[in-house]
This record gives sequence, structure tokens and C-alpha cells, in this order.
Amino acid sequence: MTRYLILVIVIALFGWYLSFSATRLDRLHHRVETSWANLDGLLQRRAAVAIEIARSEISDPASSMLLTFAAHQARDANLRNRSQAETGLSGALAILLENAEGVTTSNEQELINELRDLTEKIKMAISMHVESVNRTHMVRNKWVFKTFRLAGHAPEPIVYEFEGDVL
Amino acid sequence: MPLTKKRIGIVCPYGWDTPGGVRSHIDDLAQYLIAQGHHVSVLAPAIDDSTLPDYVTSAGRPIAIPYNGAVARVLFGPIAFNRVKQWISAGEFDLLHLHEPAIPSISLLACWAAEGPMVGTFHAAANRQRVAFAVTPFLEPVIEKLSARIAVSEAARETLQIHLDTDAIVVPNGIYAKRFDHAVIDSRWTGNTIGFIGRFEEPRKGLEIIVAALPQMISTLPDVRVLVAGPGDSEAFLKDVEPSLHNRFTFLGRISEEEKANFMASVGVYVAPNTGGESFGIILAEALAAGASVVASDIPAFDSLLAHGQFGTLFSSEDSHDLARKIVALLTNTESRVDKAKKRRDYAQNFDWDVVAEKIYDVYEMAMVGRSGVTLSSDTRAWNKFIGRRS
Repeated sequence: MTRYLILVIVIALFGWYLSFSATRLDRLHHRVETSWANLDGLLQRRAAVAIEIARSEISDPASSMLLTFAAHQARDANLRNRSQAETGLSGALAILLENAEGVTTSNEQELINELRDLTEKIKMAISMHVESVNRTHMVRNKWVFKTFRLAGHAPEPIVYEFEGDVL
Repeated sequence: MPLTKKRIGIVCPYGWDTPGGVRSHIDDLAQYLIAQGHHVSVLAPAIDDSTLPDYVTSAGRPIAIPYNGAVARVLFGPIAFNRVKQWISAGEFDLLHLHEPAIPSISLLACWAAEGPMVGTFHAAANRQRVAFAVTPFLEPVIEKLSARIAVSEAARETLQIHLDTDAIVVPNGIYAKRFDHAVIDSRWTGNTIGFIGRFEEPRKGLEIIVAALPQMISTLPDVRVLVAGPGDSEAFLKDVEPSLHNRFTFLGRISEEEKANFMASVGVYVAPNTGGESFGIILAEALAAGASVVASDIPAFDSLLAHGQFGTLFSSEDSHDLARKIVALLTNTESRVDKAKKRRDYAQNFDWDVVAEKIYDVYEMAMVGRSGVTLSSDTRAWNKFIGRRS
């Protein structure tokens, strides 16, 4: 009799553990979505600022072309090519900022300040996103999660490689 | 700064009545956010409810436990857990900011109980050997719930990477740098003086190392003096010091914020000989803001604060000979000391609350993207619906 009781308790505990683990993973997937939404928003804003800079007096026609092209490419890139496209935009912006030392008009200075501000935030957002993706991968690869398919139909989060490439 | 006012809940793990780095950081942050127009509520253990400011809620009396080389006044247990849950559900917060959620405290309980946007700040920089984080398998699922983690220094970030295998954004602790801009040089404290601020009776603050270094310094600098500010029993301390050295010491007791700024700006060199247990080193940041030349032990927190010696001199921790050498070198070379004062002041602006709080708020905003408010996780658990329980 007691043997069955223990068995029932063990099964119940294990069931609780599975439910707990599923909640945990679900929360992580949610975190990845949030951190991506946040990063995506910031990158979109950066692309918009880049286009504005391209139209302003800061850049010469050649860099304007380069910048506009890079910004549009970053905006239109699909999830898998996004990292590469954003790196391209970072590069274009970096070249421009290096040569933008002599900017004096307040309007232009404002644009550059906004870009600096965004860059800081993007750095933080990247580190938050990379951390949540890594964590999710780690948890998904644990045996309980694999054996009992606790991830369900949630797609594997994509690893982005823009760590440290921002300006 | 903010377009919309938010409701922010901050959890302080340590007793509100006991002075400490984490506690004053939280107090400054809460006041800053309130001044920005946000609604802020701080939950903290407290002995005496009646003296709390109106934005602090007591979670009960703290228990004293030894932790990280000092006595930590924290709180946990079922009654505390209930209070935490009540505070969360009554607060209707947009975001929770939990301090030091990896130690057994109400911060950890709040992280366990809540669901939604949460930011955690990690202050501790513990060595690998310390067992403070040994309960990793249990902690991991809880710490994972945080939408963003902040470490107060590179040292704290490394500790987090080693013990909990997670990365954090580094946002330093804040100081009011402007208070130090108008510091006045006080002739009582100038000359070949060594400044020290802190609870000097605690061995980890390292005043003994200065005492041990004195004889060596006196041989080259016959007029060297040590000025000690901070609470403590000076007579009991001097009992263990050789009588011939007694006249080298001046004890100032507790000093006001204004006096502190003048003190830092006046002393020949400010020394922080702490032997460990330090997570950030706010006092060093303040000394830099006053333009003081500093000598600090090479513990990880100080090493990263001084940018590996760029803005101050590091000595090999607990080595009094090395300390004496470094102090003598600085005091005998007045020119280079004065030259770098402006550089140090500029660097200290990075720790000003205006910069630091803005960064913390940036993290808040990122954590809140696309989420709506903090709830209790017990409300959303499936089996509670089954058995018809509502908490």
C-alpha cells in the first residue's frame, strides 16, 4: 500500500516539476520576444536617423548614397540577414562620424547626439537580447526539456551575431 | 526625461535602519525617480516603522546573518513572503526593481512571487571560493525571470558570470558630483596628510594597513599625518597602536556631506585600503569627484573603478610596504598630483546621478517594452484555476 502511495507522490511531484519547467521555458521564450521587440525598435529608429543624416549637411553626396543604401538594406532585411545588414549600417555610420568632427550647426549636432544616444541604448539592448537567447538555448538543451518536448511548437530563437559590432 | 509616469516598486534586501552602500543607493535612486514624477514604493526590512519615509514600506524586522565578511540584516520566511505578495498585488506596479536578488532575502522572494517586467541589480563581488552562490540550481529558474540585469561594476558582472552564468549590463552606483564641485580647501587638513573615511574598526576597511605602513613613511616624510573620519571608538583603536605613533592620528568622527567634500579636496592623498567585500567603492568615486589623489588596494572593484590605475594608484592589497611606497611617491611629487585633478573630476562625472539614473531608467524602459504591469505568478498558475483558488 505505502509503495503505491510513494509512487503516486513521486509521479505527482514529477508532474509538478514538468509543469514548473514548462512555465519556466515559456517565460524565457517570452523574454526573447520582448528583448527582440525592444532591439528591433531601436534599430528601426537608428535607420530612420541614418536616413535623416544622409539628407542633412553632415554628409557629402557619396556618403549620403552609401548611408541611404545601408539604412534601407537594414530596414528591409529578413530575420536571418538582419545582423549582417545592421553591421553594414554601423560601418557606414562609423565612417561618417569619423569625418563629422567639424559639425557646428545645432540641427546637425542634435542628429549626431541622437545617434550617440541610440548607440548606447542599442549596446544595452543587444546584450540583453543575446543573454536571453543564450539562456533559452541552454534551458532548451537540458534533457528534461528535450525528452518531454517542453518547448512545444515554439521555434528555436535565432542567434544574432552583432555583439560588439555597433560603432 | 520620461514622457509617461510609471509606478515603480523597488525591493531593498537589507534593513533600512542600518547604513550601508546598497541601502543608500536605493534611497538616492528612489528620491531621484520621485523627483522625476514617478510613483515609487520601496519595500525593505525595518526595525522601527515609525521613522520610515513615506515611500518606504516595512516588510518586518530583519534578522542578522553573517554574509560576505560582514553582518547582513536581511529577512525571509513565510510571514515575510506574505507581506511581499501583498505589497506586489497592492502596488499595481509597471516594473519591479530588485536589488541583490541572489541572496536569501525579500528580493529573492519578490522575484519568485512576481510575474512581469523585472530588473535586478547585483551589487556583490564575491570570490569564487565563497559559497554565497552555491545554490545555483535552485536560483537559476528564479533569476531567469528578470528581464534585465544590472551589475554595479565589472567585478560584480564577473561574479555573476562565474556563479550564475549570466551576463549583465554595467551601470555604476551614483554620486552627487555637484556637491564636490564647490569643495573648499581647509588648511587644517592640507599638507602631507593621508585621508581615510569609513567605519575604521571593521578589519576589512583596512585602517590597520595604514598603521603598519606608517613607520616606513615617516623615514622619508617626517611630518606625515593620518586623518580618520567615520564612526567608531578611537581610543579602543589606538590601544593596539604603538604609543609613539598616536600623535600622528586625528579622529574627526562622523562628518557631514559638505565637510566630506572639503576633506577630500584638502587631504594630500586619499587612501582606500579595503581588503575585500567591496562591490563598487562609492567613496573612491566621491574622492575623484573632489579631485583628490587616491591610493586604493587592487581588489577587483577598485581596479575597475580606477580603470586599472588610470585615475588613481593601486597597491597590492594588504601589503603595507607597497602602500607606504605608493603614498610616499605621490606625496613627494606634488606637481603630477595637481595636474591630474581635473582629469579625475571629469571622469567622476560618469558616476553622477544625472547620468546613472538616466541609464537605469533606459534599462527600465527596455524591460517594459510590450508588457503590461507586474502581477503575482500564483494568479496565473493553471492548477489554481482547477481547484478554484484565488490568492
